Amino acid sequence: MKALIIDDERLARNELRRLLAAHADIEIVGEATDVEDALAKVPVLKPGLIFLDVQMPGADGFSLLEQLEAPLPLVIFTTAYDEFAVKAFEFNALDYLLKPIDPNRLVAALEKVRPRDSGAPFEPGVATHRLALEDKVFVREGDRCWFVPVKNLRLLESEGNYTRLHFDDQKPQLFRSLTAMEERLDPKHFFRANRKQVINLGWVEGIEPWFSGGLLVKLKGGLKVELSRRQAQDFRERMSL
Amino acid sequence: MPATSSPDTLSFLEKLAGARSTVVRSHVGMDTASNTEARLKRAKERLYVMCQAGGWTFFLTLQMVFITLFRDKTLAKTAFPLELELSLIRVFAEGLLITHYARIYLARWGWKDLGWKPLVPRVILAAMAMSAVWTTVGYGIDFGVLRLEYGGKFPLWVLCLSSLVNGTLVMVGWLCIYFFYHLFERLNRLQMEQLRLAASVKEAELRALKWQLNPHFLFNSLNSLRALIDEDAPRAREAVTRLANMLRYSLQSGQQETVPFEEELKLAEDYLALEQIRHENRLRVRWEIAPEVRLLQIPPMLLQTLVENAVKYGISTRREGGEIVISARFEGATLNLRVTNPGDLSAPASASAARAGSSTGVGLRNASERLKLLFGPEARLTLLAQPAGFVTADVVIPLNPAAK
Repeated sequence: MKALIIDDERLARNELRRLLAAHADIEIVGEATDVEDALAKVPVLKPGLIFLDVQMPGADGFSLLEQLEAPLPLVIFTTAYDEFAVKAFEFNALDYLLKPIDPNRLVAALEKVRPRDSGAPFEPGVATHRLALEDKVFVREGDRCWFVPVKNLRLLESEGNYTRLHFDDQKPQLFRSLTAMEERLDPKHFFRANRKQVINLGWVEGIEPWFSGGLLVKLKGGLKVELSRRQAQDFRERMSL
Repeated sequence: MPATSSPDTLSFLEKLAGARSTVVRSHVGMDTASNTEARLKRAKERLYVMCQAGGWTFFLTLQMVFITLFRDKTLAKTAFPLELELSLIRVFAEGLLITHYARIYLARWGWKDLGWKPLVPRVILAAMAMSAVWTTVGYGIDFGVLRLEYGGKFPLWVLCLSSLVNGTLVMVGWLCIYFFYHLFERLNRLQMEQLRLAASVKEAELRALKWQLNPHFLFNSLNSLRALIDEDAPRAREAVTRLANMLRYSLQSGQQETVPFEEELKLAEDYLALEQIRHENRLRVRWEIAPEVRLLQIPPMLLQTLVENAVKYGISTRREGGEIVISARFEGATLNLRVTNPGDLSAPASASAARAGSSTGVGLRNASERLKLLFGPEARLTLLAQPAGFVTADVVIPLNPAAK
């Protein structure tokens, strides 16, 4: 698996390189010193895995994930001591390593990562193809952050330059416009219900007639979305297929 | 099994590095303080009501007893049986009301905070005035409202005069009890305030004692150190020594009120050398220390706080890094200590800076508090924005004899 090391300290990068030398299947394709550097390198080097330092000058590791185009590479965070970051990790199945890195912990973290590597061609950070249902979107709000599989997104709502994502019992904001998000989503699974909302067809629970030829679509989990007459037409065609 | 022992070592170091949380406790303390104050006020009101009711009832009972024992049997029978007793009760009720309302004015005029000397003439005058009101109201009701017939053997003005004198004595008694109570209370409060002040001084000292190595710095240093072992063994050995010095200092810190400047300088040198291993050419340091300041006494951790702050805001958050300048020299009768780092005071801190530096503001405030406690109000710590994107922490310590 191709790996990229992102850390502002040269010695920290060297140390991780040395530790990874024991793992023949991990090929280190490069190093980045900060978020800007990484944003340039990920689409070019196409790593399947990144080791990401949380605290870096300029912007922190989380903001790299926010700015990187999905699909995201697998991520193992590295941090020296950061209570906030560690708390954020606990919301996810994400792995993190505490510096100085314990070689045994590194083995365990890599074990977790390996089965997920399907070997299929993988182009992280490149917005060329549509997202698969299994691909993940990174979103952060305050001290919390999530890696959300695309299939879990029930509803995407436009809020200016932001998009509010509805999944599980959460609805954080993503720093991307709804139009930009829609371009990445598979039209087989996602439908533009109106100017403001995109729904996941996999979550549709019921449909009711609504005013003047429109429709009211009910999503599992209690969300309701209105469709105008024209969109209702499209929707009927899509659902009858 | 060296691998399994490492988590233990880590947790030990983590304990060593510790976390700081004194703010919450002091907040809770304030809350209960205001509660106690309210409770105290209620208790005082209760005491006042009890004293008023008890005092006047006691006095009334005493009078009643005297009247029944030494009643002038030769005097003509009153119109109805208990007239004398009833009028006595009325007179005492009037006294109670007068003193009750007088209390409001005493509080409003601030007499409670007066000393002995201004209080004595005021008490006498007030007692006379209250007695005059008392007599006027009493006889006013007797002869003005009730239209009783006066049949005493003395002229009415003699009766009024004796009532005035008697009333004055009673009121002086009342006022004495009132002000004695307040004098004692004031004394108590003064003592309490002194205790509270002493406690807050102690608390500031305690906070100063609690300086610990920044855990983020500690673990990052250990991480670089591990890489350095292969790369540059002599430098790694030197770094271990420096880290050991810092740990030792952190364990011993806070046992003295002041430490020689030289010791603080040594700590800052160790710290910056370790940060330089991490940040490499992103961190440059310039020392401008006048030799004569080395033996001066300064509060422990003062220089360290400033230097840590400079690295946090001037180096860690900036991609290009920069130079930190530490200067110390005498300027007339003051020590002038300055730490300058690249940065901008008004720039909004980035998310990671806010994350990393949430305790720094507290650190600087503590340092400033400690300076004032130790060296008086002329000592100060200020953050100055310099032209060309630099920030200077400027410390001024007056060299008075108290500071040694």
